[in-house]
Amino acid sequence: MNNFIRLVANENMKIYSRPRTWVMLGLLALFSLAMPVLLYLTGADMDLWTVFTWTESFTYLLNIIFAVVIASDLVAGEFSWGTIKLLLIRPWSRGKILFSKYIAMLLFGLLGTVILSAVGIVSSALLFSGNQAMGAGFEQSRMLDSMLLVLTDLIQLVVIATITFMLSTVFRSSSLAIGLSLLILFTKDLFGMLFNPEKHVWAKYVLLLHTDLSVYIHSPVGPGGTSLAFSIAILAGYSILFLLISWWVFTKRDVTT
Amino acid sequence: MQEPLVRLMGVTKKISSRVIVDNLTFDIPQGQVFGFLGPNGAGKTTTIRMMVGLMSITEGDITIGGWSIRHHYEQAAAQIGAIVENPEMYKFMSGYKNLIHYARMMPGITEERITEVVNLVGLGNRIHDKVQTYSLGMRQRLGVAQALLHRPRLLILDEPTNGLDPQGIRELRDYLRKLAQEEGTTVFVSSHLLSEMELMCDTVGIISQGKLVDVRALRNAHGEPEAEDTAFIVSDPARAAEVLQSADPTVQGSSVVVRGTPDMVAEMNARLVSAGVNVYGIMPVTRSLEDQFLEVTGGEAIE
Repeated sequence: MNNFIRLVANENMKIYSRPRTWVMLGLLALFSLAMPVLLYLTGADMDLWTVFTWTESFTYLLNIIFAVVIASDLVAGEFSWGTIKLLLIRPWSRGKILFSKYIAMLLFGLLGTVILSAVGIVSSALLFSGNQAMGAGFEQSRMLDSMLLVLTDLIQLVVIATITFMLSTVFRSSSLAIGLSLLILFTKDLFGMLFNPEKHVWAKYVLLLHTDLSVYIHSPVGPGGTSLAFSIAILAGYSILFLLISWWVFTKRDVTT
Repeated sequence: MQEPLVRLMGVTKKISSRVIVDNLTFDIPQGQVFGFLGPNGAGKTTTIRMMVGLMSITEGDITIGGWSIRHHYEQAAAQIGAIVENPEMYKFMSGYKNLIHYARMMPGITEERITEVVNLVGLGNRIHDKVQTYSLGMRQRLGVAQALLHRPRLLILDEPTNGLDPQGIRELRDYLRKLAQEEGTTVFVSSHLLSEMELMCDTVGIISQGKLVDVRALRNAHGEPEAEDTAFIVSDPARAAEVLQSADPTVQGSSVVVRGTPDMVAEMNARLVSAGVNVYGIMPVTRSLEDQFLEVTGGEAIE
């Protein structure tokens, strides 16, 4: 187990040795700070958690895009650099190497989440703590809602990045993986309309309807009358399927680059 | 007799219906420098990729130190250090970080070992620079360094002299021989450069169109050259042939050709002189590896 952590440390070293990673994390911090400042300058009369929710809805989209960029390079990058050969001749099974990359991807998504939440909440609190729009008892539940929103967004990030990870492994092309993943991210609401679960019974099994779990924060019923447990099962099922496809392709492939 | 370190047993690689490597079977004993020679496209790189687990083996098996590549990959791979074609590294990291990366993937490599290997390949003062600033020769050295980190029992080098300058080639050659002799490392080198192989290897295996054509020893067990054909230029070839009857001589014009090691040749010379034959010259009839190579591959050339 200790040795497996060293594999993850390697993947982290490769991610954080590149300047672009720090640019992405820096942008996350910058926008998490800038949004509350802008709202403050417009003189909006809002409470802390409303400001943070607005900020988060923008910065989290950015975080998902950055996680997609990182995920797209994890496997495809090794192939395009040619370093895959020296990586795979080590005394490690390919499955473990792939898994270490996936863990590193999750860690990056988590780090982005921590940065944007921390900077967002602190800057919102500094600028808007005076505004107690609602009663003090309400404050607690607003905070809980905001935290739940971050959690559901993190789940969405993991699902989208898992798709990217699979595409990166299967096609060995990071640009294709980024392109397709972002296409899915931005058109998934359109799919929701096309495959309306109110009309077609099977449509409730479409993954893209379930990636955003935040509907369940205020309502016990999701798209097409599904439950939270059903949505989680769909997300888990698809993610495991995507990981299995990645694993199968990665372990069976002949390396000819 | 020691168990050979590397065994290839009926190794075959098919891609769809095309046979790339056809039923290769040979052993490599410990401590040898084994040259794997063949024209481009003969299946050298494919064979190497199967040995290091980058490609699946269609039929047959390869064992390294008794461990099967197919069934016990992790144990087999632990004994191998390799460079497959160009040693591509992570360009955005320093050479040192690249070595740390590979060191983490193998047990028991200390920082002292990394420093030792860096000094060994002569990258001392540039190791903390990013790899993208390295010349091809320096990347090649870094490639050798990563392959040696864990003191592998088997070192596999695919076309190691590509991109090296003559001095680099010479250093590499000397170093490989030293590794084999002093540390007992088995070295497996592939190349299409015949002259290089001649200088470097104990044994060469020649592959052509996916088939093993021949395995020849270039040196004996003590690292000395094998017996060579030697021509004596003499006053009376017929008489000389009679004197050297035991050595199975052939007469060619004014010379007699026999096969022998340097000591045997000296002794034959003494016999000729004492038998009253004038010896005007003694010269080795070198059939270079190139001739042998073209001979066994049927001269059908490097594509």
